[in-house]
Amino acid sequence: MGHLSAEYVSVAFAGLKALSSVTLRIQSGHISGLIGPNGAGKTTLVNVLTGFQIPTEGTVILNGQPLGRLKPHEVRRRGIARTFQSGRLFRDLPVIDNLEVTGVGLGMSRRTAVAEAEAMLDWIGISALSSRIAGTLPYTDERRVAIGRALMGRPAYILLDEPAAGMSAAEATELSNLVRRIARDLGCGVLIIEHNVGLVLGLCDHIVVLDSGAVIEEGVPADIRKSEKVRHAYMGTAAETSLPAEEVML
Amino acid sequence: MTDTSISPFPVELTNPKKPARFALARRTIITPIFLSLLILAVATLAIMTGSRPFNQAMIDILVRVTLVVGLYIFIGNSGVLSFGHIGFTCLGAYAAAWLTINPLMKKTSLPGLPNFILQARLPYWEAAPIAAIFAGVIALILGRILMRLSGIAASIATFAVLAMINTIYSNWESVTGATSSVVGIPIVRNIWPYVGAAIIAIFIAWGHAISRSGLALRAARDEPTAAAASGVDIPKERLVAFTISGIVMGLGGAAMAHSIGVVTPDNFYLGLTFITLSMLVVGGMSSLSGAVLGVLLLSALIQGLRWLEAGVVLGETTFALPKGLQEIALGGLMIVILALRPAGLIGNREITFARFKGKA
Ligand SMILES: Nc1ncnc2c1ncn2[C@@H]1O[C@H](COP(=O)(O)OP(=O)(O)OP(=O)(O)O)[C@@H](O)[C@H]1O
Ligand SMILES: [Mg+2]
Repeated sequence: MGHLSAEYVSVAFAGLKALSSVTLRIQSGHISGLIGPNGAGKTTLVNVLTGFQIPTEGTVILNGQPLGRLKPHEVRRRGIARTFQSGRLFRDLPVIDNLEVTGVGLGMSRRTAVAEAEAMLDWIGISALSSRIAGTLPYTDERRVAIGRALMGRPAYILLDEPAAGMSAAEATELSNLVRRIARDLGCGVLIIEHNVGLVLGLCDHIVVLDSGAVIEEGVPADIRKSEKVRHAYMGTAAETSLPAEEVML
Repeated sequence: MTDTSISPFPVELTNPKKPARFALARRTIITPIFLSLLILAVATLAIMTGSRPFNQAMIDILVRVTLVVGLYIFIGNSGVLSFGHIGFTCLGAYAAAWLTINPLMKKTSLPGLPNFILQARLPYWEAAPIAAIFAGVIALILGRILMRLSGIAASIATFAVLAMINTIYSNWESVTGATSSVVGIPIVRNIWPYVGAAIIAIFIAWGHAISRSGLALRAARDEPTAAAASGVDIPKERLVAFTISGIVMGLGGAAMAHSIGVVTPDNFYLGLTFITLSMLVVGGMSSLSGAVLGVLLLSALIQGLRWLEAGVVLGETTFALPKGLQEIALGGLMIVILALRPAGLIGNREITFARFKGKA
């Protein structure tokens, strides 16, 4: 079993401590959840794991080896993929080319990349979008394309930053099913950041709760559901997170 | 990839069926073919007219096509504005001069050249590729430093490259003749070599655009963060394009040298930089078709103005960068086009058979 972990990671931005000694572990074939109010440091942690943010302290360990100061594209080539909270598709390119970019980024020929990209779109169930220009897609399709792009070349880990944001309940359920297939059928270790706590509780094997840059709770969904600390953290910011009431109620 | 004990992998994802070989090339080759036909049409027009000034004007246009396509390779795909590329044209032009001028003349005018160059007297078709490679090698070396920069810092650094090359060539008396003209470059009046250079440039640009490197670079242009997260080594892909475009700019420089027979460093400075960049921007910065059409449209305009200004005679100088009215008109047109169509006349599309058919 492979793992990817952040160990005792701290990040400070000009005085603001975005992460304080955070440890988190992602395991092949498992789904981990990362939740916490706005500004808790979730995206910052993903940035650290993918080489976009150099931690002030702490290390990222991949299968027992420290990852060191790799650049983002080198991290990706080691099999750690991610999506972005804001989508960030290549807006001027067709959907198929969006996936192809990852293929060529990982060293495939364009011919191989396009074949892999088509197979991936098919596996996700969005083949129909293949020739659409990415910038014209509705929000939910954009998310699924971004996941497809990250999955190219069979990454060992995939880190999803709020993939269900803005989705309807039905769409979120569909997304949950896709995430389960990614872990089970592709053997990927998944980390999912999500404000929809209900979705995370139903989906994840293990959940870490961040608040103000520190881990305030972690465990299996049943533990998180019971946790008084988590309830507090979320109640404090319920207005800001604009969660539907039933999702805040744990 | 770090493959761990992965349970049965979905069959549909293992060894998917690849498209036919060269499917992408076959699907897109209509663009360079169409553009080449356009170039051939220009040449045929020049030959049919039979007028010498007109022939020279068409040669100037073909040289500019080569240069602007060279600019497109880097600027269009990377989105990084470069003010330095005419520096590579300067390198190419002087290298062609070094290799083709009669050794007897070189010994007196450029005595500082290394002996093997002093002795050399190559035909232009051998000198031009060497000049192009020379410009490409310098682009590769400078690019290794430049490509780490991005955005405005990168553009300013490219401008520094232009100034640096101009300063060196304006002062290195024994090798470049400093600011005085280097004369005696064999003049080529036959239009076909220039047609060849322009078409080669177009096919190089197309080949790069459909390559892995071209795709990765365009992705990085639109979303650098996501491109890096997709495994794209952005500085490397930029360097590839920078080097290839340096080669094409050098080829254009050699063509320019043979079209006018005389070079000075100031032929390859702000004036030419401004004109070639305007042509690229007007046509559509991120489209090969835009680059070529931009040259043709603006050149027609410039020629029209020039002839209105000075009659059909080309002028007393051997090569005249458009000055006065032409530059003002060019600047004005550029502002109008940028205001109305910021992405240029063609935008980021290419002329394809499908579009062509649709319009017919
Ligand atoms: N590059 C940066 N420079 C300065 N401060 C930053 C930077 N990136 C993030 N921060 C700050 O660090 C804190 C953590 O931000 P982060 O984006 O990781 O939160 P998050 O948990 O992902 O929040 P959200 O749920 O809103 O996405 C915030 O206070 C944020 O303002
Ligand atoms: Mg975030």
